[in-house]
Amino acid sequence: MSAAVQTVGLRKEFPMGWFRGRVLALEGLDMEVHRGEVFGLLGPNGSGKSTAMKMILGLLRPTRGRAEVCGYRAGTIAARRQIGFLPENPYFPNFLSGAELVRYYGRLSGMGGRVLEKRIQELLEMVRLGGEAGKRPLRTYSKGMLQRAGLAGALVGDPEILMLDEPTAGVDPAGSREIRDLILELRQRGKTVIFSSHLLEQVEDVADRVIILHRGQKLREGKLDDLLTRKKEWEVNVQGLKEEDRKELRGWLEKRGVQVVREGAPRERLEDYFLRSLPEEKQR
Amino acid sequence: MGSLRRIGAVAGNTFLEAVRQKVFAVLLVFGLVLIYGANYFTEFSFQEQFKFLKDLGYAAISLTGLLVGLLGATQLIPGEIERRTILTALCRPLRRWEFIVGKYLGLSILLAVMIGVMAVAVAGVLGWKEAQLIAREGSDPAVAALIRAEARDPRLIQAVVLLEVKLAVVAAIAVFFSTVATSTTFVMAMTLMVYLIGHLQSVAREQWLESGEVASWAAKFFLAGVAFLVPDFNLYNLIDEIVAGNAVSWRSTLEVVGYSGVYIAVLLTAASVVFEGRDI
Repeated sequence: MSAAVQTVGLRKEFPMGWFRGRVLALEGLDMEVHRGEVFGLLGPNGSGKSTAMKMILGLLRPTRGRAEVCGYRAGTIAARRQIGFLPENPYFPNFLSGAELVRYYGRLSGMGGRVLEKRIQELLEMVRLGGEAGKRPLRTYSKGMLQRAGLAGALVGDPEILMLDEPTAGVDPAGSREIRDLILELRQRGKTVIFSSHLLEQVEDVADRVIILHRGQKLREGKLDDLLTRKKEWEVNVQGLKEEDRKELRGWLEKRGVQVVREGAPRERLEDYFLRSLPEEKQR
Repeated sequence: MGSLRRIGAVAGNTFLEAVRQKVFAVLLVFGLVLIYGANYFTEFSFQEQFKFLKDLGYAAISLTGLLVGLLGATQLIPGEIERRTILTALCRPLRRWEFIVGKYLGLSILLAVMIGVMAVAVAGVLGWKEAQLIAREGSDPAVAALIRAEARDPRLIQAVVLLEVKLAVVAAIAVFFSTVATSTTFVMAMTLMVYLIGHLQSVAREQWLESGEVASWAAKFFLAGVAFLVPDFNLYNLIDEIVAGNAVSWRSTLEVVGYSGVYIAVLLTAASVVFEGRDI
């Protein structure tokens, strides 16, 4: 079976205008995303993440190299049928309601009739925009609601792959958690999710594999476990250890020539603490 | 079938956007201008009053349609690129030519509806004037018949058809330029330039055909280019003939419609070819 997405030597240069040369946005990107995995494209602003995504979507033409989606050349109709896309900022026609947005994208994907109407209801329920919320104009939505409406729109054609460009940028921690949960739910349903982000702690929670880009070049690629595990260290978290036991344990370790790198009470992440403090999160 | 559904979705969305942005509010202004105009020149003969009303009505339809068509068409694609809503449309299994045709069709439907509503308003005001004049001067059946003939001129339908195709050509020119450039000002300037050249096109054609040995080879080539590439907007002067009360055959009207259709098809094809290779 072909990879969900494969790029070979993908390069993009943008012309700067007459007599001003060209700027290199992406240099020879080789990348393979397996079916059913959550894949993170990481890098600071201007590292080439969005450019790579747009070439996979067929919105930009590569200067050199090629990209394939489920074995189809990127940009072809067959390739685009396999992908749902959520752009960096919620760029949607704001005169539509949530339900109308999903209907419009469904029709653009060639859907119609009862099948489409049923799908719209399912998706709006899934992203928690069912009922009255789905009938409101998009211009009255919060950023988090817009992202969820966009996600429903991206999923309307039941694509194999979902591409999310900075899905949590500008969204509050609670909204961010909702999007993260949706990504995990989609993985459970067997979808391939490719997303870009510069918010690394969020990527850490959901991605199976990542690629790190910098100034258009690939710096690192691999499974998060392989990249982040400090293989020479070992960590044990315990409760109820008394002060005299700590001293004894330290002495025991020193006797065996083990170097203590870190010691102390572990700290919770601020995001988790914040979310736990919210009343609605306590109820979940 | 799939293509039609996708084109229909883009066209429907374009039309809906205009409706929700209250483009039709201009129709209200149009109606008020017309009603005000109907009560003007009441001291003149009824023929002159009807002539003034028809002139005013059709000039207002033409100007309103040109403004809405030009502003709408120049925003059609650059506006989507600027707001980046184009990204979420073109990443779907939608061909770029389908997007262009859908957008153009949406605008054309908007123009057709607007012109249609304005034409009905003109007909309504003419009818109202007819009732007023018959009540005042129509005691003589011969005079009443003359008033009715002036008010209920079926040739005005031809003028409406011609006006619609003229504006459809202007919109197609703007759509073509908007696939080449991102600047709305550039698109507007180029479209207006072609519109003006279009009114002088017949002069270029005459020069090209009749210049004989006087013009240089390069000048002849340029004139031939202008004559072929730019639509002849003088053909739509038939509208003025109709409004002035002169007879214009349906055959000539349909010939102009066919001529416009060819230009629209060529412009949309060229726009699709240019847009196909463009980075979004």
